[in-house]
Amino acid sequence: MDIGFSAEEQRFREECRDWLHSNVPDERRPLDAADALEFDKAWQRRLFDAGWAGINWPAEYGGRGFSIVQQVIWLEEYAKAKAPWIGANFVGVNHGGPTLIANATDEQKAFHLPRILKAEAIWCQGFSEPGAGSDLAGIKTRGRVEGNELVVNGSKIWTSFAHVADYQELVLRTEEGSERHSGLSWVICDMHAPGITVRPIRKMSGMTEFCEVFYDDVRIPIENVVGGLGNGWTVAMSTLSFERGTGFIADQVKQAQEVEDLIETATGNGMIGDNRIAEELAQLRAEVAAARAMTYRNISEVEKRGQPGPEASVIRVFTSELGRRIETMGVRLMGEEMLDFRYGDDDQVQDYLRGFASTIAGGSSQIQRNIIGERMLGLPRSR
Amino acid sequence: MDLTPNDEQEALRFATIAWLEGNMPLAEARNRAPTLWSGMKEMGWLEMTRPEMGLDHATEALIFAELGRFLAPVAALSTAVAARWTGLLDKVAVALRGHVLDTVGTTSALGLFDGKAGLIEFAAESATHGLDLSTLQVRLDEMPSPSLIDEPLAALHFRLLAAAYGVGCAEAAGDMATEYAKVREQFGKPIGSFQAIKHICADMAVRSQVARSQLYYAACALDAGDADTAFYVAAAKRLADQAALENGRANIQVHGGIGMTDEAQPHLPLKRAHLLQFVAPVETADLL
Repeated sequence: MDIGFSAEEQRFREECRDWLHSNVPDERRPLDAADALEFDKAWQRRLFDAGWAGINWPAEYGGRGFSIVQQVIWLEEYAKAKAPWIGANFVGVNHGGPTLIANATDEQKAFHLPRILKAEAIWCQGFSEPGAGSDLAGIKTRGRVEGNELVVNGSKIWTSFAHVADYQELVLRTEEGSERHSGLSWVICDMHAPGITVRPIRKMSGMTEFCEVFYDDVRIPIENVVGGLGNGWTVAMSTLSFERGTGFIADQVKQAQEVEDLIETATGNGMIGDNRIAEELAQLRAEVAAARAMTYRNISEVEKRGQPGPEASVIRVFTSELGRRIETMGVRLMGEEMLDFRYGDDDQVQDYLRGFASTIAGGSSQIQRNIIGERMLGLPRSR
Repeated sequence: MDLTPNDEQEALRFATIAWLEGNMPLAEARNRAPTLWSGMKEMGWLEMTRPEMGLDHATEALIFAELGRFLAPVAALSTAVAARWTGLLDKVAVALRGHVLDTVGTTSALGLFDGKAGLIEFAAESATHGLDLSTLQVRLDEMPSPSLIDEPLAALHFRLLAAAYGVGCAEAAGDMATEYAKVREQFGKPIGSFQAIKHICADMAVRSQVARSQLYYAACALDAGDADTAFYVAAAKRLADQAALENGRANIQVHGGIGMTDEAQPHLPLKRAHLLQFVAPVETADLL
């Protein structure tokens, strides 16, 4: 076992650092939706032009085809350089694109993949529904086959970036009377098609990052089905497993920086003299170190075995809850100043309010604990 | 960068487990055979830390975590550290602030004194069992002044091995609870099928994984001479102590009524966890 990097890997780190140093924009990502979209597109385009887009995509699809250790290095340097979140490009680059790579026809890949990497097409995800959250297999949105088209009716919710998206990875029920995981299909949905209504949802942080989407007799060509009619569940799950493994690295570097900042703040305003504050900061610092150790360990396992195991859920539960505690400490150190927060402010309160998403989105902490209990520990199923 | 054991380390780990299962079952922790110490010595664990053995701290951490899982005698920690930094090959007990632990057959003990490792001499005649039923201890009204080991790494080494014991202890409690949850039935089902129990077991697994991961990182940092090694080792010990204590308590809760009894085993890892927290303890300042 060792925590060192080879000379070649060190050189690669230098290369990442140098490029990021001279290219990361000085301004922060704007909060206004339209400005943020332009900002996200410009940044993604800059990454693409310099050859840094799609670091985990195979080279034949325009990606960099980095090894897993190179991805770790890039993501660590990316976070250390405080490079922007990829924002609106998130779904295309991290979910939609990888799913297409694993499941789509050559024609579909040739059309969509370059557009995603160049930020010419923004994607959103249509998985959750009002009645299908943690229980994703409860999907009710229907697609009736009519000739060579699907006629879609229903609604999706918590769809990030739907209000700016060009395409959606839409999972719907294409087999009448089917239940649970069977009879679902994964479809490329054109978000500009007639019959689609998007209603942005304002979050308690004041941000409108996600939306409700309604489908009223929306017609989708049947060739937009990816991976075959009725195979939607398998196709959707291939997306989820693609991004595990290295997905936590950037969060951890960010968390480590946040804890160091909090220690500095508490030292500056004297609150570190309160033993309970000092104790909790010490605890957070130890746990952030452990989160990195656990991710390194998981990545080493994935490199040996080829596939992430249920241990990814352990990292997921631990880092998301750790993040929540860091954000809570952030507002604790603000004291009464917290009360001056207004929608539009980009500060510790904003981070704290947004942070609630981390233990809910993409499988809540409670669902993750079921996965740990059942798939890792071998306890009998609850349902 | 690789934080997984290699094949050689795994082979060593499995051989260790096989011997411990046969010779040191956890169920008999309060009634260890007098020949156990010489058996451990023959297996080489007490001297595996000597430089001429050519083993790194990562390998030690793996093996000591297994010893900790079976609630092995705590003097293995101090003896192994003394073997590495003083060349002493005889048994050395563990010195706390006012106690000496695992005292049979020795009159010297190793502990931390103002953050530095040192050795004391003590009189062993009054040894008794205390909270941890697997460990004989002596209470000292006054700690003799230590002869300090002139090497700062000795303290980190001691703390690292104690953290490894804590990781093993946490895992023992977690495994015990999970296995019980699979077989104990109520309402016509194994209790592990209820989320209320399942999530307790999941939390125990999370704590164990967190502590073990940090243990590996700290061991590698010590091997590599990383500038922040002291922090990484302190973090490993803090998280191992917490995992052992919290898993120890949760294990008793999962067992229900039987978990509260003297006859059943769940109290053994909990009591061991309470003892380990005083071995090379971590202060807040070590982490900030």
